[in-house]
Amino acid sequence: MNRDLLPLTYCLAIMGAVFTVPFSEAQNGLQDIPDTAFEAQLEAFSVIEGASINLFAHEPAVGNPVHMNWDKRGRLWVVSSPLYPMIQPGEAETDKIVILEDVDGDGVAEKETVFADNLHIPTAILPVDGGAYVANAIEVLFLRDTDGDDVADEREVVLSGFGTEDTHHLVHTFRLGPEGMVWINQSIYIHTHLETPYGIRRLLGGGMWHFRPETQRAEVFMKGLVNPWGHAFDDWGQSFLTDGAGSNGINFVFPRSVFAASPKAARILPGLNPGQPKHCGLEVLTGQHVPDELQGVLAAPDFRGSRINLFKLTDDGSAYTSTQIADLVSSKHRAFRPIDIKMGPDGALYIADWYNPIIQHGEVDFRDSRRDHKHGRIWRISFDGRDLVERPNLPAASDPELIAALNSSEGWTRQQAMVEMRSREPEAMLAALSSAAQPENVDPELAKLRRLWGTQSLNRLDLAQAAQLAESPNPKARAGALRSIYYTAATNPDAMEIASKAVSDPHPQVRLWAVSVLSQLDHPDTVKVALRALDGIEVDEFLDFAVWSICREHAARWKSLTQDGNPFDSVSQLLFAARAVNEPVGLPVILNALQAGKFQSNEAFSQVADFISKTGSSEDLNALFEYALAPATPVTHQHHVLVALANAGKLRKLQPAGDKNRISQFLQSDNTAVFSSAALLSGQWNTPTAKKLLEETFLQIESSKEKGQAALDGLVSLKDKAAGPFFDKVIRDTARSYQLRSLAVIGRIRISPETGANLALLVLKDSPDGNDPHGIYNTILSNRAAIPAFAKALSKTTLPQPIALTGVQKASSAATRPQGVINALQKAGEIKPMKMALTTEEMEAMMQRVANEGDPHSGESIYRRAMLQCVVCHAIGGAGGIIGPDLVSIGSSAPVDYLVDSLLQPSVKIKEGYHTTLVTMKDGTSFAGAIAREDSNEIVVRDAAGNENRIPKSEVASNFISPVSLMPPGLTAQLREDEFVDLVRFLSELGKEGDFKTPSNRFIRSWQFLQPHDRIRDAIGHYGNVIFAEDFKTYVWTPIISRVVGDLPFTEAPDLKGRGANRHTAARTFIDATEAGELRLRISGRLDDLVLFHGEKEIQLPKGASDAEITLTIEAPGRQKLSLAGLKNNGLDGVSLELLDDASKVQPLELKDF
Amino acid sequence: MKFPVLINLLSLTLLCTVTFAENSDSVIRSNDRVALIGSTLVERARLYGHLESSLHLAAGPDVQNVVFRNLGWSGDSVFGDSRAYFGTPEEGRDRLSKNISEIKPTVVLFCYGAGEAMSVDQGWTNETATEGRSADGLETSLQTFINGYQHLINRVSESAGEGLREKIFIAPPPLENHGGALPDQTENNRRIGIFRDAIRDLAERNNGRFIDLFHALGGDEFDGSATSNPLTNNGLHYTEAGYRVLSREIVKGLGYAGPVVADEDDSSLAEFRKHIIEKNRLFFNRWRPTNETYLFLFRAHEQGQNAKEIPMYDPIIAEEEQLIAQARRQVLTGQPKN
Repeated sequence: MNRDLLPLTYCLAIMGAVFTVPFSEAQNGLQDIPDTAFEAQLEAFSVIEGASINLFAHEPAVGNPVHMNWDKRGRLWVVSSPLYPMIQPGEAETDKIVILEDVDGDGVAEKETVFADNLHIPTAILPVDGGAYVANAIEVLFLRDTDGDDVADEREVVLSGFGTEDTHHLVHTFRLGPEGMVWINQSIYIHTHLETPYGIRRLLGGGMWHFRPETQRAEVFMKGLVNPWGHAFDDWGQSFLTDGAGSNGINFVFPRSVFAASPKAARILPGLNPGQPKHCGLEVLTGQHVPDELQGVLAAPDFRGSRINLFKLTDDGSAYTSTQIADLVSSKHRAFRPIDIKMGPDGALYIADWYNPIIQHGEVDFRDSRRDHKHGRIWRISFDGRDLVERPNLPAASDPELIAALNSSEGWTRQQAMVEMRSREPEAMLAALSSAAQPENVDPELAKLRRLWGTQSLNRLDLAQAAQLAESPNPKARAGALRSIYYTAATNPDAMEIASKAVSDPHPQVRLWAVSVLSQLDHPDTVKVALRALDGIEVDEFLDFAVWSICREHAARWKSLTQDGNPFDSVSQLLFAARAVNEPVGLPVILNALQAGKFQSNEAFSQVADFISKTGSSEDLNALFEYALAPATPVTHQHHVLVALANAGKLRKLQPAGDKNRISQFLQSDNTAVFSSAALLSGQWNTPTAKKLLEETFLQIESSKEKGQAALDGLVSLKDKAAGPFFDKVIRDTARSYQLRSLAVIGRIRISPETGANLALLVLKDSPDGNDPHGIYNTILSNRAAIPAFAKALSKTTLPQPIALTGVQKASSAATRPQGVINALQKAGEIKPMKMALTTEEMEAMMQRVANEGDPHSGESIYRRAMLQCVVCHAIGGAGGIIGPDLVSIGSSAPVDYLVDSLLQPSVKIKEGYHTTLVTMKDGTSFAGAIAREDSNEIVVRDAAGNENRIPKSEVASNFISPVSLMPPGLTAQLREDEFVDLVRFLSELGKEGDFKTPSNRFIRSWQFLQPHDRIRDAIGHYGNVIFAEDFKTYVWTPIISRVVGDLPFTEAPDLKGRGANRHTAARTFIDATEAGELRLRISGRLDDLVLFHGEKEIQLPKGASDAEITLTIEAPGRQKLSLAGLKNNGLDGVSLELLDDASKVQPLELKDF
Repeated sequence: MKFPVLINLLSLTLLCTVTFAENSDSVIRSNDRVALIGSTLVERARLYGHLESSLHLAAGPDVQNVVFRNLGWSGDSVFGDSRAYFGTPEEGRDRLSKNISEIKPTVVLFCYGAGEAMSVDQGWTNETATEGRSADGLETSLQTFINGYQHLINRVSESAGEGLREKIFIAPPPLENHGGALPDQTENNRRIGIFRDAIRDLAERNNGRFIDLFHALGGDEFDGSATSNPLTNNGLHYTEAGYRVLSREIVKGLGYAGPVVADEDDSSLAEFRKHIIEKNRLFFNRWRPTNETYLFLFRAHEQGQNAKEIPMYDPIIAEEEQLIAQARRQVLTGQPKN
């Protein structure tokens, strides 16, 4: 072994005694506690231009504030929890609610009153209705002061049965809705069981409830999200959520919508900002004190990154597009943890700073001494040169004044006016609402919606006005009116008629709410009506989801009707509904339409084929087969049919009735995809000519990988393990290529695990470079029977060390982590066990080195090395893999020792949502990964390579959450110690102020580099740089992502040899432009050495500049190719391309869509 | 529970002067361990202490060393839905079995049926063996309830072992009509009445005692009119005053003449209840600790080291039981604290 490349872990072993200590003890000696003085925090802030920040309140009045809300008198109620993360045995419940009051209006609280001090990890507070709702671990309490001293003396349990599985998941995020209800959220691990006066309600996993105090009705609104810690209503009453552990930025939610992490979800919706940081809290910026450019902007605290992100929404179909803009505030102070933000009565912004160097408690010990249990701050942001709002005295307002306040320009005033209304005589309020004049300077349709909310907040919804507003000229008002109808639709006699009309509304969001109203109704025709929402407009994912959902929820109302024909308006509606329930309903009608050629578009056809493969009988499959066999059937349809038949065979063990030899027709096809599916099917169906043909195709895998792979699958599918002897012959024939022998072994393991596992050694020992590129190890490790056989075979032989080491890595990150195989590989390869845990002294030494010597720039280039595979699985700010957590702010949220341990022992701490589920089938095969979705028939597991594996539920033997991380241990073993130190330093800088904080600028981050190609040297002279912008068939493009700072390092690109000493380079990317017109971009780098193409058209760049704004003219909206070519000879390095328009106009495409 | 010898002797001497003698037919006897199983009604009883204090006092001074363990869980069904955490209701039932086998109760109070009766059209369990059936209307849902309840009784009896002497079945109290925006509970009360009959039969078949809270609190005479003197805060959930009444009726239902002290809160009774409530709080954190996922479930490899704290509750709970015993003696005898 090369001394310079001595594995780091070995070096460390020399440094200290060889024993391991638990992680918790290893942390105790560490000191990186930030200065607790609030002056230190003040110095560390940078705020958005034109804003100032000041301290409103601090400890000891508030210690570790968790959540806050204002009362109608303009006092801020804060719950705080020094007890978090867990009460100690015998410890009293002493967490507090404090009322903070700014008596003189100077932006600093002078008065603090402890309202309650007997709480157990309270996570939400809402002072309304003469008291305060408080989330208190398992229950929602209502606390009331009855004698006027602002100290609670009555305590009532309002709701109980919230789960306690995790104290940062507990019931949380109370919000008062514009309609007067209390909105309540819970997180992923919480299982809630409420007994309500309307029956039992359960919510298993994350989601949101609404609760109306007058009726005591609590209902689930939506499900999913890991930690939905922020909820805000926009001006029109639509709901948006943030997630403290998902990474989709803003999420648009509506009734029955389901998002990531909802247990057993058959389908989930995406958030609006994939790859964005995680947030806690959410507020809409509005009112006269807020600068114009921030009006309506959503503020979301990124507590990991110690900053508050801003997002701008634009309408997009039934939902929205969200664009991140510059941060509101960010801090270099590691203990600044903004976790709630609310607009105040003076129009300024108030921020709850939980104040803690350590966040979370899953990864860091509950009792870690660095946890702060004492400090807490409330900060206030105001805007220079803009008048503050005069704080209203709502309790003193007359009835007409109060009603007028419902149309105030200030969101705070509008909400608190509603709170005050609820404390007055409802009849008088209704009368005042009726006689109120039309407000000036307010959109009249918005004023009508606010009036409607006024009645609803009194629990006296004006049904007639709601019906009227559902016909408003403004689509936002129509959607708002339908939402107001939604909650009590079941008892509203007009709801069916209103919704029936609205499903055909020109605006998709109105349709979305019409379908939501229908989902509340008992009417037999709800689905028939809802399906009409799909006709006549472009249906986006959200509207599609809503219709899909009601088809399933109300399935009992329509399924039986399909026996007498099509109960809906069209066969495409029937297909939609049938696919939604995924059951054999409506098949005769659908097959007739298929034969009549009604499904011509590729999308519609593939849906039909897929549906028949999932639900059809042998006869139905035969009808599909015969359609494909007909001479006029287009090739793409043939392919869809064959794929569908193969899936039916694999997932349902079902074959078409009739003569299967007809498949040979497709084995003549010169279309590779058709041939491949046919090859697989001929194996599956065991047709007489199959075996020989499959063997021949397999042996020619070098000429067509796709055909060869299909032949392998076909051979494996043959009856009675018929391909066994053939595989054995290939395996033993050392004249064959390593690839062919590897694949033969894989085939052998798949049909006879024990035999195959024995033979695997014959091939593995011949690995030319110690790698296992075809996945022999993975095949063994995912088979229950192969694992012990392989371990046994290993015990009798030796293996070259490199290939054995590869095996140890694979086995150590396998969900089963078979220790027998790991031990046997270590013995056979003479590998000394790697020391993975550091002693306290070693960890301290490592921390010192990271702080003093670590070079984050060098660390970033190490991070980007292909062999470390970091980029394959992790993204930074959305750019990179999706297998592991996004590391965008890992440095500002995780301590250095946590990072070191996570690199050395990935399984010790696993981020929530990234646990591996191991699904084992009855035949012993297993699949490890994340559950992508599941329904009554199948489970879909997404593995570490991003592949989705469909597993029929009937074949599942077991299904459990593995304690093993998908990240292999020992990835860093090949680094020198100084490289490891640099890598840790880089990770520890991520998200902190400086070069490694992902900027909010819209840099294009996904690219491809062109690989060397013979054509270049010849063609460059003839045609010039445009050759790099052409779609030349044999060019090979490889994925690459930008650095954190946003630029593309051309130093990492392969040299493309040009004439003489010229070394060229080329990269390309794709963007999606939504409309014709102009797009603005900024390009930065050595522009003299660069050329830029839009399609194949060159865009002129100014000479001698390092930065330029350019304009693209979009003629045809949709996908646009941008290519950059350059000459590397002069030291071309970082080049960035930034989109200057917002997400509603242009979106960068992800690598998978290139 | 180990009492200091001195106090034991002292108390025995004093208690002999009281006319109670331990009757071999008593429902609650010395050294009994009483487990309370049910849903929200049982779970919330822990917050007020009335049920335990009433039973303690009804049993009288000769009965000593009785401990109560409240295993109620909001929203639970006879299939153990609420106890399931991340798993199936069966895992919830397994968990209950484990709790019971640790407590080894001699007396078990069961109270199920209200949530189930109210949800016969919507479903009240995720138990797949009965999927769809709990939502199939009164008749099918009731049969599902009866089957589930019988299995629960069998399971609890098995886990408790031979020491289990008394099974007490409580029919849920009626729902109230409050008028205003709160719902009319007439239909739900009719259903609870029907469930009550089934619970009575179950009690009989299982040689258990039966307490008809539904009848005792006027469920059979319910005419839909709004209550003038509410015992619940929303028609369903009993207030502290409500629990006081429920507790009195349960004591009566067990054949006791009643507590030997008035049920007004005098200071010693308040002290007695305070210790009961504190013991219940400690026990709650013992059997349903927060962060269960990290302590015992699939993230135990991260924070399982902190699970060692949980058994530390045992000696603290034992100390609190001593304070309960002391306070109880004071209530029953007027004896000063030491």
